[in-house]
Amino acid sequence: MSSHREAPEMAKDPVADSTDVYAFVSPDRPSTVTLIANYIPFQAPDGGPNFYEFGHDVAYDIHISNRGKAEADITYRFRFHTEIRDPKTFLYNTGPITSIHDKAWNRPQFYSVTRIKNGRSKVIAHHLACPPVNVGKRSTPDYAALAKQAVHKVGRRRVFAGQRADAFHVDLGSVFDLGALRPVQNLHLIPMAADAGRNSLQAFNVHSIVLQVPISEVSRKGDVPSDPAKASSVIGVWASASRRKSRMFDKSEGRYVGHGPWEQVSRLGNPLFNEVITPMSRKDEWNASHPKGDADFAKYVDHPELARLLPVLYPGVFPHLAAYHKKRADLNAVLLTGIPSGVVPGFQNFTGAVESDMLRLNLAIPPTGSPNSLGLLGGDAAGFPNGRRIDDDVVAIELRAVAGLTIPLVDPSFTPDGAAGVLTDGTTDTNGGTTKTFPYLGNPGGGFQTEPGTTAVA
Amino acid sequence: MSDTSRRKLLAAGGASVAAGTVGLAGLAGGSAQAAEARRSPTSAKESVVAYVRDHRSHEVRLMVREREVVVHDRDLATRILNAAGGR
Repeated sequence: MSSHREAPEMAKDPVADSTDVYAFVSPDRPSTVTLIANYIPFQAPDGGPNFYEFGHDVAYDIHISNRGKAEADITYRFRFHTEIRDPKTFLYNTGPITSIHDKAWNRPQFYSVTRIKNGRSKVIAHHLACPPVNVGKRSTPDYAALAKQAVHKVGRRRVFAGQRADAFHVDLGSVFDLGALRPVQNLHLIPMAADAGRNSLQAFNVHSIVLQVPISEVSRKGDVPSDPAKASSVIGVWASASRRKSRMFDKSEGRYVGHGPWEQVSRLGNPLFNEVITPMSRKDEWNASHPKGDADFAKYVDHPELARLLPVLYPGVFPHLAAYHKKRADLNAVLLTGIPSGVVPGFQNFTGAVESDMLRLNLAIPPTGSPNSLGLLGGDAAGFPNGRRIDDDVVAIELRAVAGLTIPLVDPSFTPDGAAGVLTDGTTDTNGGTTKTFPYLGNPGGGFQTEPGTTAVA
Repeated sequence: MSDTSRRKLLAAGGASVAAGTVGLAGLAGGSAQAAEARRSPTSAKESVVAYVRDHRSHEVRLMVREREVVVHDRDLATRILNAAGGR
């Protein structure tokens, strides 16, 4: 997964689990940038009676670094609170919910947005309403209308926080069964007939925070950059979740009560970083640390375990990769510093020498009319690893990069193995898809409408 | 985040402030020293969690609202450890 349940501690704390981060110049409003942070993975749409919601005891942050120091120069913090309208019922809703302010919705959620810059905090919005989850045809008969009502304007910004269809796609069942990729599993060490990929995120929802702000609000110089070659055109983006340092169980209230400062428990920049780069023994530590200290994790990027495993799992398929023992300067650039000028003609998203896991977005590169889901690998500089669009196939991109496809960018003497250019897990987004306008992520699957999947033991 | 200015204040105030905050008088078995503790005008007015991570140090961390106050106070740490040990 991009970062769903990617670390031992976070797997036990889904409400604070950052699952995906997206950052892109808005295709329909190119003077703005859209930042998306998803949380709470694997939401079965029928997961009632206590449906999914943001944590009132979690601080959700989207960070922007625009001075090349891998520090949060601007942070948008989202804090939620939940109300119970009728304390006498066990029901999430007591009738059809026809608006986000409908009294029939018994457990509405609201949030504030705080902008933190140069150590100064300013609440820019408060008591913004979330939509309910998509319960079903009777309870939320016009979900699209509810979602639309939950798009709020905050000055020149737009914001939405609530349930969405998970647009990330990956074949978890296969990938974590000894690194198998069904389309090429006939070549696996334990071979089976090649098959189509299965999207393990199919029929699951997430909770999304979607923020659209003017580019000038997040760029280094307060302008709308137009020259892709300038360092000031690039921003770094990551998301995090924090909990109070101490939590005491208050028996009289039957819940935990927080004390002390907020401490980061989850973070996410590049998809799959903590998932498949960081060793299990350090994943929790990584989640609690900050990007500017990622030099401590650089060795896992420079010599990634996955690059060593591929030739073992697919005997004879990756002979060139197997023989390559140099530092992976290509991956270091893609994941930790950004790609400097001179590597890809006309492109750069270098943020300085500080090794740090962030999405890096060159704000001067306009959206593409016909996006290529392989992003920069597909010749589309508006896509990953230049920021990340929702439809970018980051699993295929990162698989191919790790398999050696990007090594020639920094080491022309290397010839990638033929398989490196075609690796894929064979999945696509089979959920709600994307929309052409804000909030871009599709409506979540409904509890009544979604059919349970199938399971098998042998 | 540690609150260094608060820390200095509490470190200077030592056991008096913290004892009032966490109610150590009762925990400490009603010793004469604890009984003399008085609350200062700036003492916490809400619930507080005290954390002694290392029993060999004199550091006590107090969680209050959204702050963490670090106190280096041998007497306070010793009294908390004694109280935790049942004395």
